Amino acid sequence: MIHIGEVLVSKGEGGVYGERMLDGYRVWDPYRSKLAALYLVGTGPELVPDMKVLYLGAANGTTVSHVADYVEVVYAVEFAPRPMQDLLEVARRRKNVMPILADASSPEQYAPLVETVDLLYQDVAQPDQAAIVLRNCAFLKTGGHLILMLKTRSVDIRKKPEQIFQDTLDILMSFGITVCESTWLAPYHQDHAAIVCTLDHPV
Amino acid sequence: MQSCWFGDVDNGKCIPFSGDAAAYARRVREIRTSMDALVPPDWKIAAACGICRDRAEYLSLLQKVCIAGSEQAVREQYAAKDVELLQMVRTLDEMDTVINVLSERVADWYQIRHPSFSRKYRRTPAHMLVKSVSERGGGGALGKVATGITGLSDTRTALAKEVSARACEVMPNTSALIGGLVAARLLSHAGGLKALSRLPASTIQVIGARTALFMHIRTRAPAPKHGIIFQHRRVHNAPREVRGKVARVLAGKLAIAARLDFYRGSVVPEFIEKAQARIDLAGTVQGDDKQ
Repeated sequence: MIHIGEVLVSKGEGGVYGERMLDGYRVWDPYRSKLAALYLVGTGPELVPDMKVLYLGAANGTTVSHVADYVEVVYAVEFAPRPMQDLLEVARRRKNVMPILADASSPEQYAPLVETVDLLYQDVAQPDQAAIVLRNCAFLKTGGHLILMLKTRSVDIRKKPEQIFQDTLDILMSFGITVCESTWLAPYHQDHAAIVCTLDHPV
Repeated sequence: MQSCWFGDVDNGKCIPFSGDAAAYARRVREIRTSMDALVPPDWKIAAACGICRDRAEYLSLLQKVCIAGSEQAVREQYAAKDVELLQMVRTLDEMDTVINVLSERVADWYQIRHPSFSRKYRRTPAHMLVKSVSERGGGGALGKVATGITGLSDTRTALAKEVSARACEVMPNTSALIGGLVAARLLSHAGGLKALSRLPASTIQVIGARTALFMHIRTRAPAPKHGIIFQHRRVHNAPREVRGKVARVLAGKLAIAARLDFYRGSVVPEFIEKAQARIDLAGTVQGDDKQ
């Protein structure tokens, strides 16, 4: 990951969402992007130039554009048409973003398009985040990384965020997924947690 | 056999698909993949297939397909009849809020200008006051703001008519039961006609009474009898003791009407006739519940 001083940046064409530039690099704001927050709060898997990424919950393409600066190709899945309009604009200007309008909980919709990836990133506001990630593991190569951004308030508002965090970890581990890092994203994001795993064998 | 976007792969043999990006995108939507024996597409097979020469060309072609497919999907979703109505009714409700807030502000401002003025004993609603301020307010900013609010109110009235007319078109059965405006508000809260048609009647009954509902769940507060449907005259004009019953019966018929609207899309007179009679019956104090 590229840092300038304490600031996380990425190398690419700027002006995607009015981000600040620093020495010709795009500043990656941890308050806007949970992935940036993970790289500042914890460690997270290194993004490298030959990586293929499946990104679930791409939204407006803000984080997607930064990931695309680092890796070879991003398959960006988004369900809602409104943010998809923005994502399409990002894709028109970046050769390595593949916008896909589909529901991440039914991966068969985009199975004919997505190749085997090195990193599966999930940031969807759904109550069954762990189940969605498990369904998408078929795209992840053995030994690949998995990042799950847990929006505890979207899972169940009545439960304690700590409880949901633990429950999700238990579900993942019960499927034989190795959790290598799990951290809260405070102070950048409230009640959001990041879980980084590796897939040692197919689920 | 495994089908992926660029062709069908069978025992290492590949039958390429050809066409423009839109044709590939259409093909992707028609492919039914099983996730159990998933073999993700591989650019090397595509190259062997003659689709592309190298990885860069594979990605560039794939991106064209992805963009074409997503653009088409967005267009289709926006073409649905209820999407624009949703924006219209939300604009309408937000305009109401804005008009109310600004009117109160102008009334306050006017009182400062006229220290001896008081609204007590006058029964002048804020919007009437705004009208008179805009007529006699002079050329100052106060008069201009008041004129602006009056203009906004006229736009709001026109928009309300349009919403009502559009709702009768998009959801004829629901609109026939509770009127276009309230029907459109139900639609806006549900998030779309499909979502509304899948709601149970008990939810439709209390849509828009979220605070009361959660207060009921959390504490011992009584359950809300009605949400948005209270705006319908047969609910708010009903005698207090049967109002809950009318709301319940109406919500039940609305749930059916929404399903007719979504799946059939046309008006069903025999249903509406029977439903109206049933709702009217519930409104009478002696109305038999079982009929």
